Amino acid sequence: MSTPTPSHVFQANLTPARRRESLIFGLFGGATYLVLLCGALVFGTIIFKGAGTVFQAKAPFINTSFLLDAPESLHVFQFEGKKMELGDRAFRLFQAEHPEVAKLKQESYIYSAGGIFPCIVGTLLLVVGSMTIALTLGVSAAIYLNEYARDGMFIRFIRLAILNLAGVPSIVFGLFGFGMFVIFFGWNVSLIAGWFTLAFMVLPVVITASEESLKAVPKGFREGSLALGATKWQTIRKNVLPYALPGILTSSILGIARVAGETAPIMFTAAYVVRDKLPWQVDKFSDFFFQGVMALPYHIYVVSSKIPQNEYTERVQYGTAFVFLVLVAMIATTSIILRNHLRNRYKW
Amino acid sequence: MEATRANPHFLVNRSRVRLFGLSFDDCIRVFFGGNAVVSIIVLGLITFFLFREGSGFFGQNRQNLIVYRQAGLEYVDFIRAQQDDHTALTRYLSDLRLRQFTYATEHAPMSVAAANASLARFDDFAGQFGDTVEPLRTLVSDLTEQASAIKTKFTVMEDKKEERRQLLDEGRAGDAAKVVITPVDFAAELKPILGTLPAYRAASAEFAQGLERVLATAPTLPTPELQARMDRFKLHTRDYLAGFPAVTTQLEAWDYTKPVPASQAFTSFIFGREWLTASFWQDWYGVIPLVVGSLMVSLVALLLAVPLGVGAAVYVNQIATPAEQKFIKPCIEFISAIPSVVLGFFGIAILGQALRALSQVSWLSWVPGFPYSERLNILTAGCLLALIAVPTIFTLAEDALNNVPRAFKEASFALGATRLQTVIKIIVPASLSGIISAVLLGLGRVIGETMVVLLCAGNRIAIPDFTAGLAVITQPVHTMTGIIAQEMGEVVQGSIHYRALFVVGMLLFFLSLGINYVAQRIVRRYRISIG
Repeated sequence: MSTPTPSHVFQANLTPARRRESLIFGLFGGATYLVLLCGALVFGTIIFKGAGTVFQAKAPFINTSFLLDAPESLHVFQFEGKKMELGDRAFRLFQAEHPEVAKLKQESYIYSAGGIFPCIVGTLLLVVGSMTIALTLGVSAAIYLNEYARDGMFIRFIRLAILNLAGVPSIVFGLFGFGMFVIFFGWNVSLIAGWFTLAFMVLPVVITASEESLKAVPKGFREGSLALGATKWQTIRKNVLPYALPGILTSSILGIARVAGETAPIMFTAAYVVRDKLPWQVDKFSDFFFQGVMALPYHIYVVSSKIPQNEYTERVQYGTAFVFLVLVAMIATTSIILRNHLRNRYKW
Repeated sequence: MEATRANPHFLVNRSRVRLFGLSFDDCIRVFFGGNAVVSIIVLGLITFFLFREGSGFFGQNRQNLIVYRQAGLEYVDFIRAQQDDHTALTRYLSDLRLRQFTYATEHAPMSVAAANASLARFDDFAGQFGDTVEPLRTLVSDLTEQASAIKTKFTVMEDKKEERRQLLDEGRAGDAAKVVITPVDFAAELKPILGTLPAYRAASAEFAQGLERVLATAPTLPTPELQARMDRFKLHTRDYLAGFPAVTTQLEAWDYTKPVPASQAFTSFIFGREWLTASFWQDWYGVIPLVVGSLMVSLVALLLAVPLGVGAAVYVNQIATPAEQKFIKPCIEFISAIPSVVLGFFGIAILGQALRALSQVSWLSWVPGFPYSERLNILTAGCLLALIAVPTIFTLAEDALNNVPRAFKEASFALGATRLQTVIKIIVPASLSGIISAVLLGLGRVIGETMVVLLCAGNRIAIPDFTAGLAVITQPVHTMTGIIAQEMGEVVQGSIHYRALFVVGMLLFFLSLGINYVAQRIVRRYRISIG
């Protein structure tokens, strides 16, 4: 009686049950969009606040010194009624001209001036090296699992190991890398120790991704090739890998995002808090592999925990986070777009 | 001609390269197989190296405990514990004073000065109560010095031994012989400490008398509620007094030669309530504060992430339009790509302050623990970890929902169930095993997360005060992952502290393997399929 009569036959009747349904479904939807909102909030804040450091109003609109200089200390002081903010090098020049500056009261903040070039380079080197190792190992393992292996105890054991390896916390990989590469092998804190640590960490991701791509290649491709008398290896090389490779690479890009984003594994294996030399400024070629590098994620950790938060340090904190986030986001976007693209391309 | 017939000449006559009796194809197969084994090897190597660096810990920890006993530190700590209990009682009194003060200024409006004046008698009582411990305090500080001196002697001796060993290793026997090692005679060294027992008895008796005397002068408090607290205080003090003889018997029965059982090195780690390093007195490596910290942070994170993650999965899988699905899924994948260190920075720079400001809004003061002043605490870290756990839970739960056979849904609709009934009563229960394992894997992800807790959990190594009820979530803690990341860079290689960190890593490793195992079991055991 109390329910309003519908104006036409097909209009939904708003019974209490229906109202409850839409309420609860609304809650589910609310949860979904709340998550998206939180993510957007994090992104938005970092991008909004960090853009001020990375971009500028004048041409070339990008703050090249922030991207291309090494970190320096920032000196803040009052000089002839003006507030001066100078980086280390500029401060020394200024001091040579005005010796009286030394007596002035000044505050200094480490890493707050200059840029983050060594960190960007370090992160790129770490990513390239570790992904090379991880792809070699991972793709080979996937080929074995998908093409050669017969189901049995041994294979089940390998799969179990891969599954478990995926769940090991990144800090444990860090400890392991420290114990094995840094101490036992005596490589010290070095690029190569970081490469292997990160490669092992990302291995399960690469194996799973590669296996999926290999599985997507139709069985007929292999059977046709084998029927023509090709050997197993010829079949894989000529008729399976070429079709699986794009998939393997795009899915592995997600692994790159993981490698670039992790801090804990490189903390004691590869990352230096600060290093004056750039990675290619080495005496011997072999030294290149055995040097520590600065890395973006570790730099963010250092600048957000080891220096105070104020208007002078904010610049480098948000700036670094911005560059890092954009880098990782770009990698992730590429992966997602490429994957969707690929899904549409190969259909057989 | 004859010869060729014996060795038939094939058209395809490629000589096969053989390596260790394997053909080229076999070699390739072995190469790929070898790479597949890498994951097993890595898992094995992780276990091995964690054990290699960490296994020495228990031996060193036992040595640590033996010295603690032999140098008399344990003896002194019995008396110190008595003194600390007294301090706890005085803290109770100062809390009581604060309550009275609030009562005086708020309920019976008085100026601050007048309120303080009205409390003069109570202050007098509290002051006297605090002074009663004086005889014991002098004794403890004397004993502390003596015991530390013995420990230092022992450490010096150990260092000398190490020096000699190193010299011998380098083959400089002459120099090694010159290193004088004076063994520590614990029996003789401990004599003065043990000799203070009569002095302790006298001090304890004086202390007890003092307490009795002061307790008799306890003032009566204005309200029944406060008086009840005062009565409880008296009761606590009486209990405390009743414990004195037990301390004396403990001291009398104490024997430095009593061996430290090997299991204690293990139990003092697993059940130890204190993680105290680089202290002048005694280092403790108890993992409980760290485990509790990790679990508290994860609990808060999961409480937030499970409803959100599972809710979002149900929404996307069952309710959302295809266009929405296409938009939401990549977005959540995107969130999972946010590096944890960036989230940690976000917590330090923005969320910590924002949550604290929120807690200080007056109409939210009913929330337990609000308002609070520590910017970095369980809540801050938990909120950020929730954002890390949501994508994991979402993706896996969505997979599980996807795997529910279509027929289930159709059958439900055919029976006249509404969409809501179908989702709640059919789809979700059918995929429950998958959802539970998704939650477990989310837990694994959260427990192993390092940077967020290192930056945002507050890093106070103490078991949070659970008597505060739900407000416990606004306290700072330290976690297993955080402690490794924080202290690993500073410790001396091979020291007990260094090894302790590896043992914590081992614990984390096996914890994550365990969680993984349970998650897999649940999926396999309760998988629902047609037929």
